[in-house]
Amino acid sequence: MNYAYIMVHYGELSTKGGNKKLFINCLNRNIRHALSVDFPEAKVTSDRDHTYVEVGDYDVNDLVVRLQDVSGIQRITPVVKVEKDMKVIDETALELIKEEDGTSFKVKAKRADKQFPLDSFGIMREVSAHILRNHKLDVDLHNPEITLTVDIRDTHACISCHTYKGCGGYPLGMNGKAMMLLSGGIDSPVASYLLIRRGIKIETLHFAAPPYTSDAVIDKLTDIIKKLNVYQEDIKLNIVPFTELQLAIYEHVDEPYCITIMRRMMMRIATAVAKDHNCHGLATGESVGQVASQTLESMIAINDVTNYPIIRPLATVDKNDCIDIAKKIDTYEISIRPYEDCCTIFTPKKPKTKPRIKDCEWYESKWDWQSQVEACIKGVKSTFIKNGEIIYDGTNQEEN
Amino acid sequence: MIYFDNAATTKPYDEVLELFAKLSKEQFGNSSSAHFYGRESSKKLEESREHILSLLGLNKTHKLVFESCASEANNSAIKGVAYHYANRGKRIITTEVEHPSVLNAFRALENEGYQVVYLPVNSDGVVEPKVLETSMTKDTILVSIMSVNNETGAIFPISKYADIVHKYPKCFFHVDATQSIGKVKMDYTKCDMLSFSSHKIGGLKGNGVLIMKKTMEITPLLDGGEQETGLRAGTVDLPGSVAMDLALTTTLKNLNANQTKAKEIKQYLREELSKIDEVVVNSPANSIPFILNISLLDHKASVVLEALSQKGICVSSVSACSSKGEPISYVLSAMGKDEVASRNSIRISLSHENTMEEAKEFISTFNNVLSTTVGREFVK
Repeated sequence: MNYAYIMVHYGELSTKGGNKKLFINCLNRNIRHALSVDFPEAKVTSDRDHTYVEVGDYDVNDLVVRLQDVSGIQRITPVVKVEKDMKVIDETALELIKEEDGTSFKVKAKRADKQFPLDSFGIMREVSAHILRNHKLDVDLHNPEITLTVDIRDTHACISCHTYKGCGGYPLGMNGKAMMLLSGGIDSPVASYLLIRRGIKIETLHFAAPPYTSDAVIDKLTDIIKKLNVYQEDIKLNIVPFTELQLAIYEHVDEPYCITIMRRMMMRIATAVAKDHNCHGLATGESVGQVASQTLESMIAINDVTNYPIIRPLATVDKNDCIDIAKKIDTYEISIRPYEDCCTIFTPKKPKTKPRIKDCEWYESKWDWQSQVEACIKGVKSTFIKNGEIIYDGTNQEEN
Repeated sequence: MIYFDNAATTKPYDEVLELFAKLSKEQFGNSSSAHFYGRESSKKLEESREHILSLLGLNKTHKLVFESCASEANNSAIKGVAYHYANRGKRIITTEVEHPSVLNAFRALENEGYQVVYLPVNSDGVVEPKVLETSMTKDTILVSIMSVNNETGAIFPISKYADIVHKYPKCFFHVDATQSIGKVKMDYTKCDMLSFSSHKIGGLKGNGVLIMKKTMEITPLLDGGEQETGLRAGTVDLPGSVAMDLALTTTLKNLNANQTKAKEIKQYLREELSKIDEVVVNSPANSIPFILNISLLDHKASVVLEALSQKGICVSSVSACSSKGEPISYVLSAMGKDEVASRNSIRISLSHENTMEEAKEFISTFNNVLSTTVGREFVK
């Protein structure tokens, strides 16, 4: 028997009260987008509690795999929809369970329609009894090999032997848009993924310092974003021409403070570009303690230049866990390509781990960086990458 | 674009591309097939085989195996001899400055229990013949030395080496001739084995040859069909191999004229670059006219390479910019250059297509790049 529908269970939406509808509409839109490339005919409908995807001629497993990458989904259950008649339910359940491998089973029942003559326990008992009478299986309530679920909805009943974990979080777009600082290393793509999963749309911002950084980095970033397109179908890559400001920093600032001042400049630029692009937060791949600029003291000095929230999804994530996620989202192999986002020329030997804001301000009083920051903001080139393709290549953009 | 990276690969000749396309379309038969169409292919292939050998004056004494690249040919030669003649001895000799396809083949054999001698080079980057002489023993079965170094263009006296090796009748002499073929006149008749590739002489990528004495046998790398008399299994690339014949013919025909032109350009580049304080020229006086290797003492080579690249100029350096253990040129290190010079070398390599105008533009851009980019010691 084929599963004709896939039932999508919502994530953390039950707390949303009056806004719930907005969230569900957003999720449905995202599901339609996600399916539009490989499953253009799949129909998406929803009621108050679930979204349904009609399987049609598609492979149900392919659909499940695709849906697992859509944020805001708690669980994904391929179901057979039948009328709310115990005879039909019994027969369907039996037929479904016969197709499964395994020797033990358990029936779980849920009754959203409280008018249904049997209560949940009654349904469980009756369906289990029917299966036991007609099929050689043992009941195991603790570690069953097969779990059959019966869900009595208002208009129909849903029966299934499988359920899959979704990626959780919120529907993408419900939590606004953030400007993600993307270096091309292992961390920033993972942070991007975690933001998207939380329902936060991202734009990305990269600071390029040619010729001290290689142009090959841009290809690397593009490849990373193509991978992230699975989770957010369209992502903008903004490139800041950072060379002059970078050189000025190293010219005017003593070596231990260079990185801190550089991060402060980056945050100033990122804030301005974020404002311009309608983003309501900045995000980085920083992890507390990982390098000198990522201590709490450094973060105070860096946060001081912006009133935007700086989200650091990896703040407490261990490197190995981060690498695991990077492998899962398939960005790891791209991130470890040999060329660097920042050339070794700009690697100070002894960076300050506990910079003070006063000292930062003193260094920053030494030259007119404001005009250089302004030039960086004006010089931003944007590329738009959608579903793995470069839609709009900012490298041909006219200077404005 | 100014393309000064011809030692990496050259632009294929137009007539080579045309011939390749024509043969791929009209002569696609498998040269191993027994029908008339296959036999036609086979005939063409044998003509090219003979022709390449005769261009090098080796058709009487040597046979030729078509392979996929010089790396494969080097591996075939080195491992082929080492395995086949292991009963004569397990001592093999090469130099410290070979191409990785030779060096790593020797290292692999070293791991298998062969005794490997890596000959040092002098400050010109060349192995002194007497160094080879003192390293030879009766149980040495193979000596592999390049004819021209790929980084510096230094020319090696292969005839002298051959004379030394041939005092030991059980030892074979292999030459990686990838950078000398079509670049400099050389007598290869004393070599037991010779390898080179097509894409460095205006041919296509994916073709190389191993030439060896008719009397020699080696253990093949691949198990498979009986193509190339069992020495290299796999369907032979007929169009590519015939195209290689044409590329070599064309290159050798124009060798004198090409050399004269390149000499002039290299001389100009050498003079102009020597005027720059931080530049050290690494290529010795006796090097081919097509390669000029320099080191930068103040700038990082990778930064200069990137800056040149963004201005449309292609040269090569040892490394890409990387903070994780920056690569070092083992060739320059072996020549006794210090660490800074060995880490920051740039190779300019010419072809017949390059002009003096390009060289002039290169010099002005190069000077401009050096004055507008910060140096290696920027962060004090």
